[in-house]
Amino acid sequence: MSKHSALNTFGRSGNPAFTKNFTNTDTSSLPLAERMTLDGAVNKTAVLLGLCFSGAFLGWNMPILVVPGMLIGFVLALVTIFRSPSKAGATAPFYALFQGMALGGITMFAEMQYPGIGIQAIGLTFGILASLLFCYKSGIIKPTENFKLMIVSATMGIMFLYLISFIMSFFGSGIGFIHSNGLFGIGFSLFVVAIAALNLVLDFDFIEEGAEKGLPKYMEWYGAFSLMVTLVWLYMEILRLLMKLRSR
Amino acid sequence: MNTIFFSLLTLFSLFVFMNLGKVRASKKQTDRNDRINRFGSKQESGNKKSARSTIIEGEAEEINDNPKK
Repeated sequence: MSKHSALNTFGRSGNPAFTKNFTNTDTSSLPLAERMTLDGAVNKTAVLLGLCFSGAFLGWNMPILVVPGMLIGFVLALVTIFRSPSKAGATAPFYALFQGMALGGITMFAEMQYPGIGIQAIGLTFGILASLLFCYKSGIIKPTENFKLMIVSATMGIMFLYLISFIMSFFGSGIGFIHSNGLFGIGFSLFVVAIAALNLVLDFDFIEEGAEKGLPKYMEWYGAFSLMVTLVWLYMEILRLLMKLRSR
Repeated sequence: MNTIFFSLLTLFSLFVFMNLGKVRASKKQTDRNDRINRFGSKQESGNKKSARSTIIEGEAEEINDNPKK
């Protein structure tokens, strides 16, 4: 498959939230106040993080909310990505809240098994966020079309593997090495954490370019939502990796 | 000790994100020809330009395969 046909098939970003086609966005007629800015996107990400932590507090104290939180969050993510990116301002806060509930409950269960693992996962997630943001802003990491193609392919491969494992679990089977705490399982988790982390670079680039091009204001919410999707994934993978390491 | 270290790491990282996130990326990052082309920017227009440049300007002439002798 040639580079361009792969791009046409898989979209133009690693993050599924960015696979929509925004190439026809005409922003020349928009007044300055109605254009996307970096400040706006960062502030909205902070709002979503605050909501996610509030949801996590609820989920921690009421673990029964884990499954509904996860399902509703998943549906809201699909709605935001495929149905109404322009309504991200309405759906993204609820997505953050419900995903927070799920993460809070999951972290509580992990803490019961391995005390102190939750704060380690949170610290590592935000540590990776800050260090990759620095690398992106300073130009140490430069996302190109090839970089994006590599991340898209790896992300889709991982999602496909997880889907097959999920389907196989209904038949009492599964892909063993994904969940094992052996060297191969830990290596796989490290690879997934690396890919999830590199998706952050694509998110930063989207927000930077969106602000540069002066996209409509609602794209601030969409950019913040996309960053949240990646952060939630990264946190889950780091938690899984730490659990594997602690169980050895 | 562990908890304090990771709590401080979280707070410091959030502080960095909130401040650094609002700063524009360096010229090294933004002034590149190989940037991801999401919104039909530089690269595409460059390609169109190069495609257009292959057209030879001038008047078209009809080619006659059987010239009169």
